[in-house]
Amino acid sequence: MFTTRRGLLVGAAVLATAGCTDTPVKLIESDADLTALLRGARSLASAAESLGYTDIAADHTAHIETLERLLLPNVVEEEEAAPSIADAAALAEAESEASGVAREACLTTTGDYAVLFGEIAASRAAHAAVIA
Amino acid sequence: MTVVDTGLAGEYAAIHAYGTAAVHLSGAPRDLAEALEAEHRDRRDALLDFYDGHGMEAAPAQASYDIDPIGDAEAAQALLLDVEERLATTWRAGVASEEPAEREICLNMLTASAEALARWRIAVGEAAAAPWPGRPA
Repeated sequence: MFTTRRGLLVGAAVLATAGCTDTPVKLIESDADLTALLRGARSLASAAESLGYTDIAADHTAHIETLERLLLPNVVEEEEAAPSIADAAALAEAESEASGVAREACLTTTGDYAVLFGEIAASRAAHAAVIA
Repeated sequence: MTVVDTGLAGEYAAIHAYGTAAVHLSGAPRDLAEALEAEHRDRRDALLDFYDGHGMEAAPAQASYDIDPIGDAEAAQALLLDVEERLATTWRAGVASEEPAEREICLNMLTASAEALARWRIAVGEAAAAPWPGRPA
């Protein structure tokens, strides 16, 4: 690509101007609602999978993928200790509580994510209804 | 016409659809249809309270609804599942409202629709899960 020293210097200047360098990306502040919903989705996905509710786990995985994409370039680290959800009743209760978190986010957000948060709240409530 | 007006019209139509279709069902699907018809009546009443509470005039139900003839239980279940999916899509659209009370009641209705859809899907042997209730395919 840069076959001469002059070409190399010009290329380096262009890349630096365009931000294409090895300088670490400066992360912007995370959206608190997106982060909270992502953490909840990860916990529920893990619990649903371990209890054999694979289709419900797939719903949470879809939520995780969307929330992670919206949070970029931020990356929310996995939490080390997920809350223990040992049986179907506990999972239904956790789904219901997590639905409430998404509901609150939907009703209070002033951003563009009201519908997304509402969908997640409704999906989690439906999980709770059929597991219970 | 607001999204709540559209949703109320949908709830009226759903009550009519359940009343027409449930007679073709038996056993657990019949029980579910009767339970969900009652829930739609409760939702209609909640919506009428919403109109009253905001000093608004609610449109009445139509005198009749155009529903294709229902031949058997399978057709009845398909109709009711379709009704629930359409309602969920209507209420999901309302969640985008910038008016807090309107957003809240639409979210309540979307949540109830998602729960009803999940119960119907189980009744017809489908997976109940759905990550994005009401989102158009």
